[in-house]
Amino acid sequence: MMSFDQNAFLIIFTASMIAISCGLLGVFMMLRKMSMTGDAISHAVLPGIVIGFLVSGTQRGLEVIIGAGILGILATLMIDWLRKKARVQLDASIGITFTLLFAIGIILISVFAYRVDLDQECVLYGEIAYLPIDLWISSSGQSFGPRIMWLAILNLLLVGVFITLFYKELKITSFDEKFGIVIGIPASAINLGLMSMVSYTTVSSFEAVGAILVVALLVVPPATAYLWTRDLRPLIQLTILTGILVSVVGYYLAYLFDSSIAGMMVTVAGIVFFLSVILTHKKFKFSLGTQKETQPFSS
Amino acid sequence: MIKQVENPILEIHDLTVSYDQSPVLWNVDLSLPAGKLIGILGPNGAGKSTLIKSVMGLVEPSSGYVKLFDQTLDAVRNRISYVPQRESVDWNFPASVLDVVLMGTYGKLGLFKRPGKKEKALALDCLEKVGMSAFVHRQISELSGGQQQRVFIARALAQEADLYLMDEPFAGVDMNTEAAIFKLLQEMSAGGKTVVVVHHDIYSAVNYFDWFIMLNLHLVASGPKNEVVTEELLRKTYGGKLNLLSKVSELIRQKEFNPLKG
Repeated sequence: MMSFDQNAFLIIFTASMIAISCGLLGVFMMLRKMSMTGDAISHAVLPGIVIGFLVSGTQRGLEVIIGAGILGILATLMIDWLRKKARVQLDASIGITFTLLFAIGIILISVFAYRVDLDQECVLYGEIAYLPIDLWISSSGQSFGPRIMWLAILNLLLVGVFITLFYKELKITSFDEKFGIVIGIPASAINLGLMSMVSYTTVSSFEAVGAILVVALLVVPPATAYLWTRDLRPLIQLTILTGILVSVVGYYLAYLFDSSIAGMMVTVAGIVFFLSVILTHKKFKFSLGTQKETQPFSS
Repeated sequence: MIKQVENPILEIHDLTVSYDQSPVLWNVDLSLPAGKLIGILGPNGAGKSTLIKSVMGLVEPSSGYVKLFDQTLDAVRNRISYVPQRESVDWNFPASVLDVVLMGTYGKLGLFKRPGKKEKALALDCLEKVGMSAFVHRQISELSGGQQQRVFIARALAQEADLYLMDEPFAGVDMNTEAAIFKLLQEMSAGGKTVVVVHHDIYSAVNYFDWFIMLNLHLVASGPKNEVVTEELLRKTYGGKLNLLSKVSELIRQKEFNPLKG
């Protein structure tokens, strides 16, 4: 049975916020052919989270976010270094970097297990269903609603500001990085900024949806939207819509089958993607017949 | 035969560039005059693109330095325009022709500012100059090779620079486009702009440029057409490809090539 109560709304709303944040960053990661770097970052932040946790003693500390941010950037730099200086293929350097860092994170968790309230399950899969009972309660005892929802809102706000402010720079460095450098765009700063946002988004979302869903949300909605449009603005809008669709449908299917919400969202994202492949493939065949016009040169 | 000039617009001093310890440019020392249409010639792997990239700061030299307008690159970025090789980008990028040309205005806009009406008018004007007005809203993935090249040149025009460096703008374009682009470059140099072009076709180069840089890891020659386009220097540049060279000298003879007559 379908239901729409407050808890359902909170979960869908939070999942949508996370999906939009990931999608916005994912569009630029995809255009830079760095989707898998996003994957790497989302796993590589684990040791940073654990160290931040050990320092601050809580999952909610700023230290956790800083630790993850540092590890995310470290992973990016390591991938870059392996590729450019050690001449390792990009896919191999990504594979080496993130498995190594993720493994270090797992070891840290198991070694400090008695002090860390974290487990691999939680990091990989998250549990958004518990969101309504994890409330943000102020020191005076007033409740403001789910803590993770506020994290997701803050996250989306920061991602939105980042992309609005640097839209032009992100666009040019994604299309033609060298030209960007030549005209004086600080390309490596923009790149590091984007990687930091991905790291931060990963940390702020992993409790709710886990690293696997974060990767799916980074990669699948932009890839789906890219099948439908070749224009940057519609691409971003369609990515946002796909993210919301995945959250809503994913939630209700999980409710229907009484299964994991995050897992169902990834599944829905995959299905939407494959449906798009089939539908746009037909559209492509159709348009081939009508688009053959000769273009005379006028000078 | 290396001719140095007074008040050069571009000065390259003892430049050496290496990739992985093996030099790709060796001790290049030259200076270029303003307002000329300059061709960089040389066989594959001679370091032509590397020379342009090191001028643009995209390649770190092992030694030597480059001065533009008698200043460092950072001081004069806004006066230099760059056309990279067409294959250096993915043309499936979601952008329209106008979007790409507008990117030429980003350098002068600075951080946080978006292109407005003025920039758009400039971009449309540049598209007009390269004969692409009919394609303003076309997706770049739907362009032919020659059209892509013209979009890149329009983007460079939108930079409103004084010095233009172009990496193989004639690669893979049809004859009509080549002639149209070349006519545009001629107009630009007549208008006082300096245009430096990497070119691989020596036959057409002889007709196109009025100053030549000949490279083959070393600098073989740099000077005005009448002084450097000789069989001896071409032979030095292209090494043992005699067959090719005798064709060129044949071509030069046939055309009664006389630089003094223009």
